[in-house]
Amino acid sequence: MSHSHGNASSVNDPRQPSAAKPYIPRPVAPEDLPVDYSGFIAVILGVSGVMFRYKICSWLAIIFCAQSLANMRNLENDLKQISMAMMFAIMGLVTNYLGPNRPATKK
Amino acid sequence: SPFEGFDAEEDDVTDDSSHLLHHSLPPPLLTQSHSSLSDPDPEPEPSSAECKSDLITESDLEHQSDSKTPSSTPFEYWDEDEFEGLPVEIETLESPLITENGTHADPKTPDLKTSSEAQGDTNDQTKKKKSYAVEIACVCFLIALAINYFVGKRENESLALAWAAKFASKDTIFQKNFSMLGVSELEDSPLLLKEALNVFKFYASGRRYCHGLLATMELKSRHDLISRVFNLVVPCKDEITFEVYMNEETMDHVVFAMTKKKAAKTMQKEMRDLQRFAGIVSPPAGRKWVSEEFALISESKEVAADLITDTVLDQVFGDKAVDKYGKNFMSMHISDQHPGKHKKMMLFKFSLPDAKHMDDIVRLVALIPYYIDLVGRYRLSSQARNKTESGRQKAAEEAYKELHNARQEALQKKKAEKKKMMEEAEAKMSAEVIRKKEAKERARQVKKAVPKMKMSRSH
Repeated sequence: MSHSHGNASSVNDPRQPSAAKPYIPRPVAPEDLPVDYSGFIAVILGVSGVMFRYKICSWLAIIFCAQSLANMRNLENDLKQISMAMMFAIMGLVTNYLGPNRPATKK
Repeated sequence: SPFEGFDAEEDDVTDDSSHLLHHSLPPPLLTQSHSSLSDPDPEPEPSSAECKSDLITESDLEHQSDSKTPSSTPFEYWDEDEFEGLPVEIETLESPLITENGTHADPKTPDLKTSSEAQGDTNDQTKKKKSYAVEIACVCFLIALAINYFVGKRENESLALAWAAKFASKDTIFQKNFSMLGVSELEDSPLLLKEALNVFKFYASGRRYCHGLLATMELKSRHDLISRVFNLVVPCKDEITFEVYMNEETMDHVVFAMTKKKAAKTMQKEMRDLQRFAGIVSPPAGRKWVSEEFALISESKEVAADLITDTVLDQVFGDKAVDKYGKNFMSMHISDQHPGKHKKMMLFKFSLPDAKHMDDIVRLVALIPYYIDLVGRYRLSSQARNKTESGRQKAAEEAYKELHNARQEALQKKKAEKKKMMEEAEAKMSAEVIRKKEAKERARQVKKAVPKMKMSRSH
């Protein structure tokens, strides 16, 4: 290969500046982006944490929100879902730790 | 008789009975009673003597009364005596019991309180421990996520930069083959475009036979702790994909692919052009060929034989060289019937080694300009061209039929819409007719009304 390259470079340069075309980024539709599973799971866990008062669900929702933030590619589309999941998760934690106690805990 | 004596004492005088009880009690109690009696009297000595004499006399009188009472008392009275006696005993018993209860309660109540407090403390401690355990675990995991995010991000960037330094910097293979590197036209532009934390793109252009090359590095999600753990179970590699967009006028009819044997069938099924035009090619007899771990998919054996040259076999794919230089090769796909925007395209897919072992893919990357020139200059023989022409004509006819069907469907839709419009027009017409009838009826009613008024005038 190096030998053939030497031949090519010595005979004629393969580069053609006139043929250079600038990079045209393809507009990627939101549908083509990979599915954000962690964001979806975070929303479900957040909702269950708020409704059923499970602490573990709220904590897991926060963890999956963090993972979704780490894998975020498109700010405009992804932040909506992540912010919703984060709100549910934080609300779940607030109600679990600062909200009224259940009668079961009293017993 | 002593029982009767007790009853008699109770009947006579309660105070006396109490005194007697004190006497009957053991001596230390007696001493206590004496001390209590002596306190109110001013003279100690005569008071004690008087007390003793009084007690003796009282005892004598009581004995006399005892002898009298049993003869005179009936059974009913006796029962009453028993009933009267019981509450006194109960009281006397109750008072020490109460005191005992009090004394027990005094040590017991703090014991119970302390025990209850201890129980409460233990309950609270256990609850706190449980909740804190869960929270501590989750917070530690979040901290680990954050740390892994930055560490993984840096690792991915260093790997991408190592690749760029090896192949896209000055005096490297891409510098020598392409006149424009990077995603923007400016000089000294950044070479790599960072699409995501694990996806980097490199673009080059300005070479004969092709109008662009786009390299996409898909690294492992090192920045994601959960994906990193998942990759321990399901291992995956860092991949780089080169898309070379060939010029329309230079590339001939070539449909060719080469990949690992395990992935050959899957690749042929998935790629539409390979599925339609190509099949798996058996190695030709009497000639050096690629290592047994690779499989070839081609439209014709002639094309396969022409594209697998001796140089390629010696450098990368031969039996001697494949173990050292071809281990990172994944697939190669050269086609003039690519589905998508660019029809004539070459795809090369390699796995990336560590940042320290970028030399391992030097020969693999060198394949790319070699094949650009090879495919750019390649011309089929007349026989092979005829075969390929027939296949492509069939494909073109099918495409035309699909377009024709689409047009017919569009026309049918338009006709259906026209019919709907006509029906709507008819409905409107019928509505107008109804309105006309109503107008006529109203006119008739008006005419009928007029004669009534005339009759009134006549009257």
